[in-house]
Parts: sequence; structure tokens; C-alpha cells
Amino acid sequence: MFRLPPLRAVIAVALLATPLAAEDLPIPEDTPVLVVSGAITNTNVGETASFDYEMLEGLETRTFTTKTIWTDGDQTFTGVQLSDLMELVGAEGNEIKATAINDYAVNIPREDWVDDGPMVAFLNHGEKMPVRNKGPLWIVYPFDQKPEYQTEQIYSRAIWQLDRIIVLD
Amino acid sequence: MNLPDDTSTQSRTTLVQTSGAAAALLLCVGLVVWLAWLVLREIDDFSVANSDNLQWSLAQADVEFLQFRLSMKDAQDNPAAMEDVRRRFDIFYSRMVTMSSGRVFHTLRESVQSSAPRMRVLDFLENTVPLIDGPDEEFLAELPDLLEQSEQVTADVRAFSLAALSAFAEVSDARREGITELMIYIAAVLLALFIGLTLLAYAMFRLFRLAQKRADALQFASTRMKTIVQTSPNAIVVTDEVGVVREFNTAAEALFGYTRAEAVGRLALELMVPAETLARHQFGALAFLDEHRRPRPEEQHFEITLQTRDLHLFPAEVSADRAEADNALYVFYIRDISNWKEAEEQLTEARDRALAGERTKSEFLAVMSHEMRTPLNGLLGAMQLMRDHSLSPRQGDLLDRMQSSGRLLLELVNDVLDLAKFEAGKMKAEEAPFSINRLLDGLVETAQPLAQTYGNELNWRWCGVEGGGAIGDARRLRQVLLNLVGNALKFTRDGSVEVEVEYLDAARTEVEFRVIDNGIGIAEKDLARIFQDFETLDSSYAREAGGTGLGLGIARRFMRLMGGEIGAESEPGEGSLFWIRVPLTPVADVEADPEEPRDCPGKPKRPLDVLLVEDNEINRFIVREMLEGEGHSVTIAENGQAGVDTAALRRFDAILMDISMPIMDGTTAASHIRGGTGACAAAPIIALTAHALPEERERFRKVGMSACLTKPIERPLLLRTLAQVISGEIPAIPEDGPQAASAAQASAAAPAVTSAPASQSDLLDEARLGAFLSEVPRAAAGKLLERFFAEMDRNIAALAETSPEDPDLAPVAHQCAGSCGPFGVEALRRALGRIETQVKTGTLPEPAELEALADLWQQSRSALEARLEAA
Repeated sequence: MFRLPPLRAVIAVALLATPLAAEDLPIPEDTPVLVVSGAITNTNVGETASFDYEMLEGLETRTFTTKTIWTDGDQTFTGVQLSDLMELVGAEGNEIKATAINDYAVNIPREDWVDDGPMVAFLNHGEKMPVRNKGPLWIVYPFDQKPEYQTEQIYSRAIWQLDRIIVLD
Repeated sequence: MNLPDDTSTQSRTTLVQTSGAAAALLLCVGLVVWLAWLVLREIDDFSVANSDNLQWSLAQADVEFLQFRLSMKDAQDNPAAMEDVRRRFDIFYSRMVTMSSGRVFHTLRESVQSSAPRMRVLDFLENTVPLIDGPDEEFLAELPDLLEQSEQVTADVRAFSLAALSAFAEVSDARREGITELMIYIAAVLLALFIGLTLLAYAMFRLFRLAQKRADALQFASTRMKTIVQTSPNAIVVTDEVGVVREFNTAAEALFGYTRAEAVGRLALELMVPAETLARHQFGALAFLDEHRRPRPEEQHFEITLQTRDLHLFPAEVSADRAEADNALYVFYIRDISNWKEAEEQLTEARDRALAGERTKSEFLAVMSHEMRTPLNGLLGAMQLMRDHSLSPRQGDLLDRMQSSGRLLLELVNDVLDLAKFEAGKMKAEEAPFSINRLLDGLVETAQPLAQTYGNELNWRWCGVEGGGAIGDARRLRQVLLNLVGNALKFTRDGSVEVEVEYLDAARTEVEFRVIDNGIGIAEKDLARIFQDFETLDSSYAREAGGTGLGLGIARRFMRLMGGEIGAESEPGEGSLFWIRVPLTPVADVEADPEEPRDCPGKPKRPLDVLLVEDNEINRFIVREMLEGEGHSVTIAENGQAGVDTAALRRFDAILMDISMPIMDGTTAASHIRGGTGACAAAPIIALTAHALPEERERFRKVGMSACLTKPIERPLLLRTLAQVISGEIPAIPEDGPQAASAAQASAAAPAVTSAPASQSDLLDEARLGAFLSEVPRAAAGKLLERFFAEMDRNIAALAETSPEDPDLAPVAHQCAGSCGPFGVEALRRALGRIETQVKTGTLPEPAELEALADLWQQSRSALEARLEAA
């Protein structure tokens, strides 16, 4: 159902042997779904830290259930906590700029990168999310757990169809 | 200013205002609560953002669809751009899917206008998915067709987003309108609240003003009250319910010696009531304070002894009451009445002294008058004797004048004696049966010579029902009537004097005597004056008519004594009417008084051998002269004992016995003579006395005396009486005399002897006691009574324990009975007499009878003491 472009396949094959570790990011074997660039210390592809689906699945993941204003009913999300991801890439800035496939972009300050805070979700109800339904990645906040997340600003930070993150100095 | 009404109106107005304001306030509070609820709900809505940036999303849908179309156009020229077409499709697809769910786009989905184009867009997407997911070649083949379709869809996307925008605008407008409405509500409520608060503030201000006004009024009243209390000349003490002093004014400070600061807070009882009174728990008039209650009306004014700080006691007059407020208060007005009390005591003492002085004076007068009569009698007697000697006409004339003056003097002395006795309170009305007819007969007879002197007719008659006997004081009644008749005769010349008598009621308990003359009369203005002492209307007349001016005064007193009235009516030149009204107890007409002079043989037929027992030398001389002048022989004895001794020696034809004598009085002597077996035991005994009361005469008769002559002794009467007793016309020994009396006493009850009835009580013979008290000077009477009480106490006690066989019984009983006599202790005397008789006749009295004596004596003694108290 999900078609990988030929370029992505090439890169994925090239990075296949690299083991997944905090210190040493492997090279993505498949088409990267997320590219982190900017003020980071841990990189794997050039100046960026790129992740394919498998790499993300290999990271320490979390799962929570919450409602959102864009969906109907409880949604269970599974993904990598933003703070963990930032730690992994060695983010040195105080803000990130997250950008979607449709070029929607939003800045998320460092104070949001906390434990039990937002995550970069890649599974909804245990299923991968297609681009046609806000996939492949969606930064979701645990809206129901913390009422302070139920504001327009936080809603605007809940960016879907995420594919790039730039850590700003 | 009508403060209370004003205040009440104000307070009513304020009340209305206040309640109105309160209602308004309540309404405001309700509005505020409602508003708060609305606002909170709104805040709740706002606190959670329900919308993302909608316009952006919708615009984005447009943009993303355009980008999709552009990518398709690119793909026509460059098939390598296929991947971009798929990505743009997916993005647009995601956008539309997103808008199909979630509450953010709820409004969008509800919008009818937007739903048709949206559905068409979704249909296009669903139809295109297989093409997009299909192989590139098929897609490229279909691309021109798809571009054409998408041109149509562009319009739908636009229509859909425009409709959605307008729907959102509507929602937004509605929401803004809601908020505006809410704002208006808030403004309205705020305004209402403001008005309510203003009203409330105004009401509060009014209340404050009113309270201030009241406080001022209260302050004023309080100040005024304080001034009144502080400036009161009487001590004012205010205590609370338990008696703790709360107010203590200046006068109280001065009276009690405590300062206000010292007194306030202390117990009034401890402060003002003497400690010993408190210790004994006798609060007396202050009991209500101790009992914490309101004093009853009769308890509100009282006199009490209070004490000052330096323990000085003083009598005080207190007015007290309890003010029933929230906290009850006692208010005491206290006045020191030491001076008043002292003055009162002095006044009482002075009055007592004056009264005592007055009484002493009266007593002195009584004694003097009494003592004057004896020598006066001597003088009159001597003058009468002088007539036995041959006198020249000139001497006879002089003797007449002397006798006339002497009689006037005697009359005067008797008047003064009556007056003095009355004033000394020693006079008691007698109660004895008498005949009204004989009284008036005697009156007319006595006054007849005087009537003739002035050429007047004198008569008496009954008006209405004729009556007869009555019980009363005949002697004084006669004296009063004689005085009135005498006056009438003296002030009438050649006229008539009429005495009328009439019963005023059917029961015959009140009798009126009228003395009517047709003489000179009395002017109206003088009528009241004539009953005053020493009052004579016309000195020339008085001189001519004679008299002391005491007559009517004495008459007035006598009438008062008898419970009657006296009065007069007169018309100058026409005559006068004097009346007396007197209450009398009616009885059947009584027997002729044996003492009343009657037609009788003039003189004794033969010379008599007479024993004269008389202590007074003058009287002895006169009587002896009178008798010896008639040829009788006279033997003298100077006292009762000597009389008894002499009488025992030989038989005298008659014995003349004076009554008051030293050593032994006449009555005793007579009873000894009668009681003895001497020569004269049956001889006639004639009593000579200064003034004999009816009961005394009764006594004389009881001891066996034959007759009684009143001093001054008139020779004709003396001779006539002697003749009567010698002839036996008057029995030598009265029928109810000693012998008969023994029998009478033996029969125990027969009161035949008592012409003087026991009046008030059976225990006492009032007449006899009265006589004793009026005759015997007070001091002497006191001593006699004292001796009597002591003797009786002793002897009666002894008698009560004596056995009936005791030989001493009769003498002791006799002695006691004799002692009882003068004091009128009648019941006891009779009981004793009965016992004596029983012993003498050999029938022994019952022991119970003896024992009863003690009781009888106690009763008699109490009655006697009560009577003496009253006297």
C-alpha cells in the first residue's frame, strides 16, 4: 500500500548494516521518514540524523491514549518521546522547527521536550499511519492527561505528516 | 417636639426602605449568581481551545488541491513527477479526511450548503484512489481526463470552503452575539447592583442618622436624669437585681459617708443595713431585696434604721420600687428622719407631760373639792344649829345670808368636783334601774320653791306613750335636768316652765327630755356658746340668778358620759327649749326608792339613846348638837372599832355610823355589830355618808344598816329618819340584810341583793369597781390593788390545795371574799361566800369546787387588769 520510491530503497540498502545505537546512529536502510538537522551532535547522514521506520521502531517507544480535536473517539498513539529523540540526536538548541510534508511548519520550544510530554507518534491504534491520514509521523501531546495542553498554541504544535525537524540554536 | 411619634414614623419609613433595599440586593445577588454561572461556562468553553485555525485549514484545502492539479499538469510533461502527484493527492486526501472527523470541523459538517460540494470532492477522491495507487502508465493515460475532472472539483472545493467559511462566520457571529448579550447582562446586573448598593447605602445612612438622633436623645435624657438624681436633696441609691449598687447620688454620699466610687459595685444591704440586722437575717422592710422581687405597694414606703460609714445608726424613711427593664433595677429614695423622729418624740413627751399635768391638776381639784366639803358641811350644820338659839331679826337675816352663801359655795364645790372628776377620767356612768316618773316628780318637787320665787308655773308631762322604768344614771340625769329647769326658772318671770318627756323610738331605748320656758330667750349667736365652761350670757342676770357658769358645761359632759346629746333652741323674747336625748335600757317601772323622803312622822316620840360613830370632830359636834337639841342623849365613838366595842356594852336605840373612818370603817363596824351577839346586834344602824352611790347604799343594806343619810345632815331629815327606824316603819334590819343574806348566799345564786347588776362581765361588778376607782385616789388604789393581788394570789393558791375539813378554810375564804368586795370581784366573792356558808352549815364543799377557785381567780384577775388598763 505504501510505495517506496527507488531512491529511498537505495539509501535503505546502503545503511542496512549499521546497528541502532544512541552513540552511533546507524544509517537508515529504508527511505527516511524523519530528518533531524540543525544544532545536533549525533548525525548519521551528513549533517543530519535521519530515521527510517525501522529505526524509529527500534528506539525506546511509549504509548498513550487521548482524544484529539481532529479525530473522533479515543486514540492510542505509540511513538518516540520528543525529549528522548532530542537527547538521541544531541539537540543543543532551545527550539525546534518541525515541518510537514505539506510544508506546514511550527516551532516547539525546549520546555515542551519533557517526560510524559509530546511524542513523535508513528502508530495509531497499533497501525502505521498513511500520509492520507496524517501519517507517517504526528507529534501528539497527551491532551487528556494535561489540560494545559488543551490550548490553541499546543494544538498548532501538534503537527501531522511530519518529515523534518531543524533544531534551532 | 413629639419625639416618640416622629421616631416611630421614621423608623417605619426606614424599615420599608431597608426591606426594599434588601429585596433589591437579593435580586442582585441572584443575578450575579446567574451571571457568574454564564461567565464560568463561557470561561470553561474558552479555557479549552476547540478550534484549530479553521480558515487556514480551509484555505489550505484550496491550496493543496491546486498544488495537486499543478503537479498533475507537471506530470503530463514529465512523468517523473508522478511521485509528486501521489504526494499532493495524499496531502489533499488527508486534509479532506481530517475535515470529515473531529469536533473542530463539526460546524463544517453541519453546514448544508457545504455538504453537497464536499461530498462531490470526497467522491472524486475515492474514485481517484485506485488510479493513484495504480501503475504509472494507467495513471498517465487517465491524467488528461483527471485534469478535466479536477477542474470541476476545483469549483466544488472552492464552493465547499466558501460555504464552510460562511458557516464558521455564522457560528462566530452567533458566538459574538452571545458574548455581547452576556456583556449586556453583566452591564445590566452591574447597574442593578450599583443601584441596589446605592439604595442600601442610602438606607444605611438613614439608619445611621436615626441611630445618631436616638443616641443624642438618649444622651440628653441620660444627662438630664443624672442631673436630677445628682441634685436631689434626698439620697438616691440604685441597685441591680441582686442589690449591687449602681448609682449613688451626691445626697447619698453625704448621708452615708461613702463616695460614689466606693459605693458602686458593693452590696447595698451590706453597705447601709446594720451588720447585726444582717447577721440575724432580719431584713425587715428590705426583705423584697433579699428575695429579688418587686416590693408590694404597702412595702414601697417604710421606715427603717440604717447605718452610715462610721457605723452611726439613724432612722430613715425609704421609698423603694423596682424598675422592670431588661435588667431589673431597684431605686431607693432615702431620707434621714432623725430630726423628725426626735421632734416627734419630744412632742409626744410634751403631750404626755401636759396630759399628765392636766390629770394631776384635775385630781388635785377633785381632792381639794372633796376636802373642802367637809368643813363646809360643818359650817352649814353649825348655822342650822344656831337657829335653835334665839336670834334677833338682824341676826336671823345675817344667818340667812350666810346659809345662802354657804349653799352656793357647796354647789360650786360640787360642780367643780364633778368637772374635775370628769376631766380626770374617773367618772363612769352608773347603770341602775330607776323610775322616770318618780325622777320627774322629785325634780318638780325640788325645784318648786325656786319656781315660786320667780312666780313661775312648773309641770312635767309625757308626750306620746307613757313610760316608766329604765336603767341608767338617774343621779346624773336628775342633776342635768335640775340644772336645765333651774336655768329656765331663773330666766323666766311669772311664766311657765314645762318639762316634756318622750320616747324617740318604739323600743324605748332613747328618751328625750325637753325643758320649755317662755322666758327671755337666747340670741342665736349665743346658743353654741352657752354649753362652754364658765360661760354666762349676761353678767347682771348671772349675778341675780347665781351660778358658776359651769352648769351647762357639766350637763354637756354628763350627757356625753351617758352617750346622749344636749342642745337648745330659742327665740329671744319668746322663750327657750333645752333638750337632752339619752339612751336608756327600758325596764318595768321600779319600786319606790326607800331613800326617797316620804310623808312620815316628824320626830321621834321619846328621848332616844343614840350611839354616834364619827371620826370627824366637827361632824360629831354638829350631829350631837342636833340630837341633844331634841332631847336625845348621844354617846360618841371615834372610829369603827370603838363603835363596835361601845355597841357591845349596852343596847342603844339607834346607831349613827359614819362610813369612812380610820382603824375600822363604818360598813365593817356595822357588819361586826350585826354579826356579833352584842347588845346592839339588832339595833337600827343609820349610815352617814358624804355622797352615797346606789351600790354603796346596797352594800350598807347588805351589812344590815337600816338607812342612809347624806351629808350635810339636814336636821329635819335626821330626826324623821330616826323616828322611822324607831317606829319600825323602816325595818331596823333590812329584809335582805345579814341574816337573810346568809340564807341568800347559802342558796348560792339568788341575786336578790343586786340592785346594781353586774354589767359588763359576770366576773366583775362594774359599778362597785367603778366606785372604787373613782373614790380612791389613784396612787392609793394602785397600792391597794397590788396588796389585793398579792394576798389573793397567796390565799387562793392555799385554798385550792386545802382539804375541805381544814378548820382554816372558812376564815380564809371569808377574808378573801371580804377583800374581793371593794374591787367588785363579784363571781369569786360569791364562790368564796358559798364555800364559807357550806363550811358554816356543816356541808363540806367539794374539793373540785376549791380547785376551781384558782381558775376563777386567774380569770377575775385578768378581767380586772384589763379593766384597769382601760381606765
